[in-house]
Amino acid sequence: MWNTIFPYLLTGISVGGQYALIAIGYTMVYGILRLINFAHGDVFMVAGIVMVYMAASGLPLWLCLPLVLIVTALVGFLIERVAYKPLRNAPRMSAMISAIGVSYTLQNLVLYITGGLNQLYPTIPWISDSVTIFGATTKMVTVVTPVLTILLVVALVLLINHTKIGMAMRAVSRDFETSQLMGIKINSVISMTFVIGTFLAGVASILYFTNYTTVIQTSGAMPGLKAFVAAVFGGIGSIPGAVVGAFIIGIAENIIKGLDIILFKLGVIAAPIGLATFSDAFTFALLIVILAVKPTGLFGEKTTDKV
Amino acid sequence: MSNNIARKKIDSATIISAVIVLCIYVAAFVAEQFIAPTSMLFTVLKKGATYALVAVSMNLLNGFTGIFSLGQAGFMLIGAYVYGIFTVPVAERINVYQYYNGGLVQFVLPWFVAMALSGLVAAFFAFLIGMPVLRLKSDYLAIASLGFAEIIRAVMQWDKLGPITNGSNMLRLFPSFNDFNIRAADGHVVVYLSTLVPLLIAGVCIGVIILLINSTFGRALKAIRDDEIAAEAMGIRLASHKRLAFCISSFFAGVGGAMLAMYQTTVQAKGFTTAMTYEILLIVVIGGIGSVTGSCISSFLFVAASEWWLRFLDQKQMIGSFEVPLLRNGFRLVVLRRRGPNERERTSP
Amino acid sequence: MSENVLHLDHLTMRFGGVVAVNDLSMDINKGEIVALIGPNGAGKTTAFNMVTGVYTPTEGKVVLNGQDVTGKRPDEITKLGVARTFQNIRLFSSMTVFDNVLTAKHLRRTSNFLTATFRLNAAEEKHMREETEKLLREVDLYDLKDEMATSLPYGKQRLLEIARALATQPKLLLLDEPAAGMNPQETEELGAFIKQIKDRFDLTVFLIEHHMNLVMGISDRIYVIDFGKHIAEGTPAEVQDNPAVIAAYLGVDEDESGLPSEGPRASAPAAPPEARGPLKVETRGGKGVQ
Repeated sequence: MWNTIFPYLLTGISVGGQYALIAIGYTMVYGILRLINFAHGDVFMVAGIVMVYMAASGLPLWLCLPLVLIVTALVGFLIERVAYKPLRNAPRMSAMISAIGVSYTLQNLVLYITGGLNQLYPTIPWISDSVTIFGATTKMVTVVTPVLTILLVVALVLLINHTKIGMAMRAVSRDFETSQLMGIKINSVISMTFVIGTFLAGVASILYFTNYTTVIQTSGAMPGLKAFVAAVFGGIGSIPGAVVGAFIIGIAENIIKGLDIILFKLGVIAAPIGLATFSDAFTFALLIVILAVKPTGLFGEKTTDKV
Repeated sequence: MSNNIARKKIDSATIISAVIVLCIYVAAFVAEQFIAPTSMLFTVLKKGATYALVAVSMNLLNGFTGIFSLGQAGFMLIGAYVYGIFTVPVAERINVYQYYNGGLVQFVLPWFVAMALSGLVAAFFAFLIGMPVLRLKSDYLAIASLGFAEIIRAVMQWDKLGPITNGSNMLRLFPSFNDFNIRAADGHVVVYLSTLVPLLIAGVCIGVIILLINSTFGRALKAIRDDEIAAEAMGIRLASHKRLAFCISSFFAGVGGAMLAMYQTTVQAKGFTTAMTYEILLIVVIGGIGSVTGSCISSFLFVAASEWWLRFLDQKQMIGSFEVPLLRNGFRLVVLRRRGPNERERTSP
Repeated sequence: MSENVLHLDHLTMRFGGVVAVNDLSMDINKGEIVALIGPNGAGKTTAFNMVTGVYTPTEGKVVLNGQDVTGKRPDEITKLGVARTFQNIRLFSSMTVFDNVLTAKHLRRTSNFLTATFRLNAAEEKHMREETEKLLREVDLYDLKDEMATSLPYGKQRLLEIARALATQPKLLLLDEPAAGMNPQETEELGAFIKQIKDRFDLTVFLIEHHMNLVMGISDRIYVIDFGKHIAEGTPAEVQDNPAVIAAYLGVDEDESGLPSEGPRASAPAAPPEARGPLKVETRGGKGVQ
């Protein structure tokens, strides 16, 4: 039983960590701007494409990795300046449509550049190596992801709670207008939020695509949506909530992927019934249920954690 | 007196639009008889009519009721499947449902009955999903309806539903737009109607939506969009009116889905993605949120641009130009929205 | 005694730790004009919101014509014959003056969406339009009927809000600061107008107002609240001489630092109480940012 479930659990934890890194970007932006940044998943995808092209151009990998992160953060910064800043006082729906527009633009830009073909992600040494853990064979990245995720989240929480910019972020998320009146440079706080969010999405993309090995223009859509669901599930605006939500969703989704086999091996069902089809649908069902039952999410009420 | 004058103005505007629409129908009919049916013009008109209907149905919700829903592709999917399931000829079912012994459904409905049923089933699902979803605020509603569309897409592909939905396989061989052509006994086409009929279906449906918008219910929906609190204080029950708009919008999205099935001649769940909803949203935004005419015109322009006029960009992969049709529209969506119509500041209570 | 239209039975409204309205009881009888006054932030609009179903009271009951309506939705309460206007005008901004009023006729429809869409309700629609027209003539807005509602001058917008409320065929009309932002002449006209529509439409009127001249001029009875608590009631004359009311408005007995700093309270000290009679002070700054 353990041997049947464990590989799925392991993948789930790993994917959950990747979702968590993306979800933080959603939750931070929502906390400050009350905007669902629909383009966030696509920034994640763009980070993957940038890596593909950088590696193909012959740059050494040790240089590619930091460069990808810098470029991704820059993309996030530019998106905010070009598409969201002019709409800051517009109705929420306009900003949301603009976000969808950015998502659409990024996807089509990549479609144009790549010609719509799957791009092979470069193999990064060490984290692509195979490793056997408790009898399950997997890539090193699976083990690295949750550890790295936790480290980054701890660093982020420290940043938010103990630095000046973190204090400014907390203030802006609590009350936009007042913090402006208090002399907080609102533009730099928002830019910083986008830079941090997209930086983490860049890290997630390195981990995610090392696992899945190919990138295409739609690669960011599903992980992006799921990370968003994770952010809502955990209580949007709350960083610990987003992380917990992401791990739950990552694990649940992968257990469902293997549910046919698990149930079959346990003797519950006689033949596979195709439950894996619902691994994506489950996430959204969870979203609708949580929104209907507790719209603030798991940690939504703890406003002290809001960013 | 002045009321009468205003009335007359409205009447003359109605007459002018009616004449224009009629002219378009006549022109489409004539063109169809004399221009080769393979012309891209007809592709644009057929797909444009389908998209126009779906865009107007989305506009009813997003533009006229102020509910930002992103579930359109899901309701189109339901409509397309219902149409396909009930119209595949009995004799062909063994080929279409080849992995499911010909499937469960062993009868056919006339195309217009199946199409109406498409709308009704979509509306029924809207009714079910509306209960939890419509209580949510703007952006949560958007994401929940989007999630719903994804759930529908997964359910339709479920192997266990295969005897009905054909699982993840294609539904095909059902009546398409080309079957509207009147043929002589030898199969030779006497009168071409394959473009006119979809234009008529879309026209009638959009006409009904316009009638609804201009009725007392349409006013109530606009009141909800303008100010929910005031609308409720004027005795408009928010829940039931929002649900009504949601169901009607989904009904026509379902009919639009059936039309899309006829246009494509095949249906497969994996084609009805979030990107499709975004495309329709794009059309609505370009045409102007809250404008029926705008949605119609931008549908045809959008389809013409992406399927016809800008095709050469795809074919040649020109290095000098960096605009792919969709890419350009993406930019337009971002740019246009900035000074879009009906942009209002909401005063908080 | 004439029949009771609205009875508030020990209403309390708490928002988290804040008690906005505290144990408020009131009675309004048929045909009366009753005013609810009090300094800004006293809980007047909260009381209105409880009557109209926007808030469900934490404790207490709202009784309308003998029927307990506590917890009913705003639209249900409107159907029972209660209409209101808003302190910060809430007109339907995309509609004309005519459509604003016509929309308020929607709740008395007998058609459903199918009969309405396919114009099987033509007679009813015509009737609704005629009634709207009639109403607009009575409130003297008919000439502006094709203007966009939000393009009207402020005073006309307030008038339109009243017309829209009347279109729902209320028995009880709630006016939330109807004179806010009006000049003295407009305010005076408004007073006459309220009396006129009260008689014309057989209404009972319940209003919140800061313009003391208006309140004292038209009200049969006045309730005064402060910090959510009932502090006085009676005829205009009685209330004007009530020491508790004077204290609440002018802060005679209170530590000044405890007072909200905007609105009538702030304007009151500018006019020395001994120079003018208490509460006859012109409170011009009634319309704050709320």
